[in-house]
Amino acid sequence: MTASVAPTVATDAPGTRPVRSPGTVVAGRTAGAAVRSGAVWGAVFGVAVASSAISYSTLYTSAAQRHALATAYGANLATSALFGPAPGLDTVAGFTSFKVSMSLMVLGGVWGLLTATRLLRGEEDAGRWELLLAGRTTPRRAVAQALAGMGAGVVVLWVLTAAATALVGRDAKVAIAPGPASFFALAMVATAAMFVGVGGVTSQLAGTRRQAAAWAATVLGVAYAIRLVADAGVGLHGLIWASPLGWVEELGALTAPRPVALLPIAALTAALVVVAVALAGRRDIGAGLVADVDHARPRLSHLSGPTGLALRLTRPTVLAWWIAITLSGLLYGLIARSAGSTISGSSVHQVFARLGATGTGAQAVLGVCFLVLAVLVAFVAAGQLTAARGEEATGRLDNLLVRPVSPTAWLTGRIAVAIGALVGAGVLGGLAAWAGAATQHAGVRIGVVVLAGVNLVPPAVVVLGLGVLVLGIAPRATSAVVYGYLSWSLLVLVVGGIGATSHWVLDTSVFHQMAAAPAVPVDWTANAVMVGVAAVLGAVGVLAFRHRDLAGA
Amino acid sequence: MPSQAHRAPVLVTRGLTKRYRGADALVDLDLEIGAGEVVGYLGPNGAGKTTTIRLLLGLIRPTSGTARLFGLDSRRDAVAIHRRLAFVGGEASLWPGLTGAETLHLLGRVQGRVDVAYRDELVARFALDPGKKVRAYSKGNRQKLILIGALMTRADLLVLDEPTAGLDPLMEQAFRLSIHEARDRGQTVFLSSHILSEVEALCDRVGILRAGRLVEMGTMAELRHLSARTVEATFAGAVPDVALVPGVTAVSVDGGTVRCQVRGPVEPLLRVLVDSGVTGLLSREPSLEELFLARYGGDAHAEAHADAHADAPAPR
Repeated sequence: MTASVAPTVATDAPGTRPVRSPGTVVAGRTAGAAVRSGAVWGAVFGVAVASSAISYSTLYTSAAQRHALATAYGANLATSALFGPAPGLDTVAGFTSFKVSMSLMVLGGVWGLLTATRLLRGEEDAGRWELLLAGRTTPRRAVAQALAGMGAGVVVLWVLTAAATALVGRDAKVAIAPGPASFFALAMVATAAMFVGVGGVTSQLAGTRRQAAAWAATVLGVAYAIRLVADAGVGLHGLIWASPLGWVEELGALTAPRPVALLPIAALTAALVVVAVALAGRRDIGAGLVADVDHARPRLSHLSGPTGLALRLTRPTVLAWWIAITLSGLLYGLIARSAGSTISGSSVHQVFARLGATGTGAQAVLGVCFLVLAVLVAFVAAGQLTAARGEEATGRLDNLLVRPVSPTAWLTGRIAVAIGALVGAGVLGGLAAWAGAATQHAGVRIGVVVLAGVNLVPPAVVVLGLGVLVLGIAPRATSAVVYGYLSWSLLVLVVGGIGATSHWVLDTSVFHQMAAAPAVPVDWTANAVMVGVAAVLGAVGVLAFRHRDLAGA
Repeated sequence: MPSQAHRAPVLVTRGLTKRYRGADALVDLDLEIGAGEVVGYLGPNGAGKTTTIRLLLGLIRPTSGTARLFGLDSRRDAVAIHRRLAFVGGEASLWPGLTGAETLHLLGRVQGRVDVAYRDELVARFALDPGKKVRAYSKGNRQKLILIGALMTRADLLVLDEPTAGLDPLMEQAFRLSIHEARDRGQTVFLSSHILSEVEALCDRVGILRAGRLVEMGTMAELRHLSARTVEATFAGAVPDVALVPGVTAVSVDGGTVRCQVRGPVEPLLRVLVDSGVTGLLSREPSLEELFLARYGGDAHAEAHADAHADAPAPR
């Protein structure tokens, strides 16, 4: 920023010297932002890889144990559909690859598309892009530079993941050589690179950042669904080559390396970059290539007050989450019976037990799957908080508070809408899981599964309460604290599932406080405590919000 | 119209102060505005205008002092105050996904009172297409939307913070017409602006803010009195030396023309001019812009002025 507005850049008068060549300002700025975020996520990737490798090597020490795990999971079509195939579970490398691959691939894709849409379309929405383009650059050059800058972020993500893998690989029990470690890390960031490209293209097509991110996320969802079908063992494995996530899977990093799959990955990334740059020159700044609907008939039904407005504003996002959670629940229900039949008496049983899901059969599988749903529902809560903070940061909230609306009324209205979104998500997830299971005659009762869905709400309400507290006392930290705590809870959940973690650490994860229903009965006492804690945090937050100054971005 | 003295003040601040991490944004503001007054509030960027307004609206808390509107406390009774007040900010931040019509509907419902006929008149006057989404509006059109949203309520007090930012001259005229209408209906207006001609044209009284302090408050006539008037005299013959005339400063001679500024009584200067056979005379009061620039002409400039005044004989 400083470089682009420094007067020395703007003038060629004698005696002045450009601070930095104007040709690289955009690349430098974008690289700075992308590298910072790449470093954070690189650390997360590294911790995930290292913790998986260490806990497997300490937990499954005998060949017999490893063999049992491999036979239990190796041929399980349900887990194969959800998390990808699991060859070589009897080695540390094979297990680590299976354990982290799918989550890191998806996370990498999400990171890539969010980074690209933030640094391209987001900067444009904020009007900063205009300042840059008013200088000595063209839209095409600026987009090319920005994408190059994001490439630096991908490289940092790769280096950190590779370093963590190689470091933990030096342990004799883990034994992953630096070469395979770097190739594995390359596979883990391949999705990130491709979805930087996808985000780059949708940033040219859509008229707003939100729209661009939503379109790119749809591409990611479709890619995941295609490889899910390919890995589901229904005779359609050839489809794996139709999905970018499938290519990454085909790389077979750590198990059966097939570098040839790098070709489509590299080709797609390059093609997307070329298309994004080409499209950038074909449109007006601030507009998308796909025209926005500028005119609309007024829809006034909700617009009678702040809470109605909150409903209207969050409806598209909440609906998208509800659909995602319903589809996930349906999927879990569909696989519950077949997956449940394989875990009886196996060592997977132990993994499930560590996650709190004792018992066997479909309900045990759903107990573990519902932990994933709990994470999704908690993300709905985090999104609601970020949206509320966004209203304040952008100054849109001023429009309400200069009218007869008290800060307390506004915030409690937002909280009520958020709670409605959470309860709806929980109930829909439960209903969908029951419906999926019922088609397979898995023998789970609707009441039990729907209650298990409601059981997902209290952890999310804790996240909401914590977020309201932060919004009240340190508004600018709201997003960071909420997503930070959510990531921490998720990490503890994942690590706890493998075992070897102290109870003190486990207890800090909000998901650990929740009973893994429907595998075990809902723990209403724990839920009451969680809701109580959330209510206290939220009440303090509302009070603090009422008494503080409004804070801009 | 009854005189202002008989009316209860609409807005009173006492020692209103706001400090941000040791920096004074506003210091000891004492302000009193009567019902039906149109008051201008001037100052350069960062002088504390927006801080004052956010304090009045209860969006931020005073470090010390009080602001009372309609006799109520700006922070504690904000909701009751806001029922009788309408605000326009200079940075139009609205919901990009709502159309103009939807935004007006929402703002009206939240406010609780709307003169629907007047709203439609304003939409026509400001030539706004209410079917468009906010994200498709230009900055000027967003500003119009916010203006209409405030004016349509016919609130007792209009608080305007640089309300015409981004409006073209035609729309500036529409805005002035609307403020005249508000005044005719007895509404009180507090107008913060740095468009001096706008303040000059609309306001009964003007306050000038500098670095967080109110340095001047009065009617235009009172403020002019504080400053010098400009006199330009033309002579057929020799040009007299007027520099020693009491109250005269900034003398410049251009051929047969003398230009100077005079503070206090003009009689001594006129006597000299008449005695020297003046053939043409031009005299005008300082514009608000000149008053403003005199106040803010930079510290070095201000000091130079002070020195000049110290050398000159006392004006009265």
